Amino acid sequence: MPFDTRRIRGPEESQSPLLFLSPDKVPEASSRQGVRGNGDVRPVFARCGLVSQAKGSAYLEAGNTKIICSVYGPREIERKDETDMKTGRLVCDFRLAPFSCMKRGAWIQGSEERDLSATLLESLQPGVCLHRYPRSQIEVNVIVLENDGSILAHAVTCASMALADGGIEMYDVVLGCALGQNGNTCLVDPSHSEECGSWHEGYGENRGCVTVALLPNLNQVSGLNADGEMREDTLTDAVRTCLDGCHKLYPVVQQALTRAVKRKAPPPEK
Amino acid sequence: MAAGFKTAEPLEYHRSFLKENCRPDGRELGEFRPTTLNISSISTADGSAMVKIGNTTVICGIKAELTTPPSDAPNKGYIVPNVDLPPLCSSRFRAGPPGEQAQAASQFIADVIESSDLINMEELCIEKAKLCWVLYCDIMCLDYDGNLLDACIIVLLAALKNAQLPEVTVNKETDLAEVDIQKKRRLKISRHPVGSSFAVFDDSIIIVDPTAEEESLSTALMTVVTDEEDRLCAVHKPGGTSLSGEKLQHCINRAITRNKEISKLVDKVIGSMKATK
Amino acid sequence: MMELDQSCSVLREYGSEQSLLSRPDGSSTFVQGDTSILAGVYGPAEVKISKEIYDRATVEVLIQPKMGLPSVRERAREQCVRETCEAALQLTLHPRSSLTVILQVVHDDGSLLACCLNAACMALMDAGLPMSLLFCGVTCAISREGQIITDPSAAQEKESQALLTFAIDSVERSVLMSSTSGSFSVHELQQCIAVSQKASEQIFQFYRDSVKRRYSKIQ
Repeated sequence: MPFDTRRIRGPEESQSPLLFLSPDKVPEASSRQGVRGNGDVRPVFARCGLVSQAKGSAYLEAGNTKIICSVYGPREIERKDETDMKTGRLVCDFRLAPFSCMKRGAWIQGSEERDLSATLLESLQPGVCLHRYPRSQIEVNVIVLENDGSILAHAVTCASMALADGGIEMYDVVLGCALGQNGNTCLVDPSHSEECGSWHEGYGENRGCVTVALLPNLNQVSGLNADGEMREDTLTDAVRTCLDGCHKLYPVVQQALTRAVKRKAPPPEK
Repeated sequence: MAAGFKTAEPLEYHRSFLKENCRPDGRELGEFRPTTLNISSISTADGSAMVKIGNTTVICGIKAELTTPPSDAPNKGYIVPNVDLPPLCSSRFRAGPPGEQAQAASQFIADVIESSDLINMEELCIEKAKLCWVLYCDIMCLDYDGNLLDACIIVLLAALKNAQLPEVTVNKETDLAEVDIQKKRRLKISRHPVGSSFAVFDDSIIIVDPTAEEESLSTALMTVVTDEEDRLCAVHKPGGTSLSGEKLQHCINRAITRNKEISKLVDKVIGSMKATK
Repeated sequence: MMELDQSCSVLREYGSEQSLLSRPDGSSTFVQGDTSILAGVYGPAEVKISKEIYDRATVEVLIQPKMGLPSVRERAREQCVRETCEAALQLTLHPRSSLTVILQVVHDDGSLLACCLNAACMALMDAGLPMSLLFCGVTCAISREGQIITDPSAAQEKESQALLTFAIDSVERSVLMSSTSGSFSVHELQQCIAVSQKASEQIFQFYRDSVKRRYSKIQ
């Protein structure tokens, strides 16, 4: 097996202690009852401009999910062959920190992270005025510091805030919202245990996850990602619920961006 | 005007400040940037900490896993530190496998752990030659503005002090490990290594805690790591222009006072966490 | 095998050969006791655009271990050797070009980094690259009894409580590079530096003799 020579290596194999939990001591999955309603999104904390070296950056916290994003560019395109020179190129790098999940992740980017990068790119692209940046590329780097569910949705929001903070011309900000469907109950902005919970029982009727990316002012959907099995009407309802969720996020994002602009260029004192 | 001068002649710009014994950000030559520490921010990690030195931000998450002890030391465990400089933290780093700087930093941190006897490795052993802990200490830079090594050492020390491991027993009948996540214990951290980095300008002027720009303009960099008994754990100078014995002594003295400052900070933050619990 | 006196500030038997490879622009081998390094220097040559520096040459150092692929430890050593070479070479004379130093470990019996530095310096001299100073590497081990042993073998390294490697420059005999492991006091550090500076005299004299011998043959 090839191994990573560029990192300090530990033992060949190691197991997470969670695999050895004595069966009577497994912590029970907590229900949402009393904490928040099924249709509620978690309170979101958002800040812009935390990474001093980047053109634009944002940090977003929803429950325990913590995401940081920085934007570099526009700068000279790296690979000159395959691209259309008339428009700019958006490049997304999505990473989960090794300590972000219950089980330790590898340093090397896995297929899940590559898929998430691609989906993030597709969701953001319609919101960015790429024709304004010919022959150049804009880099979006996202790191999930802690994964407590709905990472793709929050990454979309966080990345679009970073783009806006970096002064990249955009048609609209992009907001993301996720939903977990389990039978007849649907949980908006699911936490990690809620996301996993619906899969533990296996596939079944009306069970799955939906993530929607929305341009709120244009009222257009730029990304839709659904997995699992759902009836047509359930899916339609789910998308509608997600759109509501996105709109609830909008004021928070707006506030964070205004705050960042005010700090960069304080309004003249009267 | 000043901005233009700074961009066109960065070295001259810095020199004009150094001549007056100060630096572009208003610091004196021997002054560190404000250092803040935050612990326990990542609940998925067994121990975590985040350090900011000026703009430089570094986060460390420790994940503990179970494995068999190394065959040449059956009563010990493992500590596996890795430093990552993702493209997020600065435009100078590319995506993909870690570059030379990240690898050298990882090795430096591993050397400091070994040299300083930071932790008794035998404490990580659960059952001799059968079961032990491996602590993966993953350090990520979130904002790179110079002085990475100092930040990495502080963040590692704080994260290790913050770490709590669940109790593990080996079941005599089944020979399998049993983990009790309710009962947790802290690690015994026996030493307090703290690093201080210096940059040499024009072969003669020494400044502490260089920013990214100062690092790239300087002719040599040096990191001195001391422990609480004022013994040296590392004098790391990867090259560059030479340094006289006198100047070296000056740097070591500064490193010793820095150790006191940071130890106080770490104890205060760790103490405040224990108090709130 | 010769009997070696390993008391304070005595180096093991050392030797070197230059220009032993035909393809590189400069080459050398350096042997200290049983530790042996083969070095090759290529350059000034064309540089990859991504690594180009507009006002000076780009230096790359590669350390190839005896077996297997280079790991993180080699990368840390490469950084030390590279930055030492950068301080010694007059890089501004060759802008936008590359200098590559390749160090092949033939055998490792302690004081590896010091031997790498010596081999690299000999190879750079052999390549005829303009340098503002020469450098040499000296390793000191502090034994558990507090005794300082210069140029330790692998067995002595294992027994020691601290290991310090310095690169000393030939002009002021000051410290260019320092890499340490283990803990030690300030006094011990100063002592080790003094011992290394003394030992460096021997190596610089050796450099001088071997170059003199070589060029007297050519004429």
